[in-house]
Amino acid sequence: MWQVTPGQTLAARQWDDELVVFNSLSGATHLLGLGATILLGVLQNGPADETTLAAALQDEFALDAAEIGAELPPMLARLAKLELIQSCPCSPA
Amino acid sequence: MSLLASLTRAELRRRLREGELVLRTGPFTTRIRSDIALVGEGLARLYAAHAIEDADSFADFQVNLLRSGGWRRWIRPQVLFDQGGDAPFTPLPLAQSQPMFEWVMNWCISNHAHGYLIVHAAVLEKHGRALILPAPPGSGKSTLCAALAMRGWRLLSDELALVRCTDGLLAPLVRPVSLKNASLDVIRAFAPEARFGLPVEGTIKGTIGHLAPPAASVARADEPARAAWVVFPRFEAGAATSLTPVPKARTFMRLIDNAFNYALLGQRGFEVLAQLVDDCEGSDFVYSSLDEAIALFDGLAGDAP
Repeated sequence: MWQVTPGQTLAARQWDDELVVFNSLSGATHLLGLGATILLGVLQNGPADETTLAAALQDEFALDAAEIGAELPPMLARLAKLELIQSCPCSPA
Repeated sequence: MSLLASLTRAELRRRLREGELVLRTGPFTTRIRSDIALVGEGLARLYAAHAIEDADSFADFQVNLLRSGGWRRWIRPQVLFDQGGDAPFTPLPLAQSQPMFEWVMNWCISNHAHGYLIVHAAVLEKHGRALILPAPPGSGKSTLCAALAMRGWRLLSDELALVRCTDGLLAPLVRPVSLKNASLDVIRAFAPEARFGLPVEGTIKGTIGHLAPPAASVARADEPARAAWVVFPRFEAGAATSLTPVPKARTFMRLIDNAFNYALLGQRGFEVLAQLVDDCEGSDFVYSSLDEAIALFDGLAGDAP
């Protein structure tokens, strides 16, 4: 399961397929591509598992499940490294 | 309102000596005290069209540019910037008093004026739309800025773009344009009518000369402008003139790289910058010919409405 980092407020602006995000906790601003934008959008609605996140990507990109499966972990790792999201033990509501 | 040009040289020197010269540059007033003749000479040449305030009026900044004391008064004399007892800069040779004044003014504004998002950029305006030219030193920003200012574009600033946090408009900060090394001769040839301060050799940036801002731009220093273009200039000898679109999100991130106080402003800075980028087209600009550059930007500005 993944969730946005608790306590942070994200200000964001999307232009075309790119998103700039301001993280109120770190004070950092990040430039994200479309895939990361989709993942962050899903997680802002609440914690989600990797199956849900993969489905969200599959809706946007014409990729098969294996390709999504390969792409998803590094994308989540990058968002986690930016401290925008974190893994969590919680169950979906 | 009086202009600095209305002061005789003797009165200008007296006011500087007594700390009674209060100079207005855009939204700011600066009380200047100096016992250095070169400071008065530089102000007379470069700030003649600027307004001065009454000697006892409020000033946003206090700038003391004084000769260093001790044996330095006689041997290799130096200029020292002092602000209320603090001396944040290393003293410089006395001959560099005018460049130091300009650097000190930039320092005062970029360290204190946080009602603005401050970007290292030149700003010019034509037909009500402003052009922002952010760039690192050596990119040809000031050369392009000077050329545009001498060809009918209103100069708002050569060095600091002031984006008002209240409404996102660009506040003019009309001051001399700093030109370095070969750029000095380029602009002298491009605009023979241009007025310059005394060139100063041997600075950390080489030879520096300041172009006096056009009086018409100084006179409109209380008229803000709405940004329409963010153009990242780069001079490249022999290159063809080219303007290449930059996606808005990339424009945003590159403006952060050139901003002085974006991090300090926090989310407010993000919102102000996002609004600015919304309003603008972003581009990379490569040039080698000033005439072609002027023609291109005049084409963008179009005809007067």
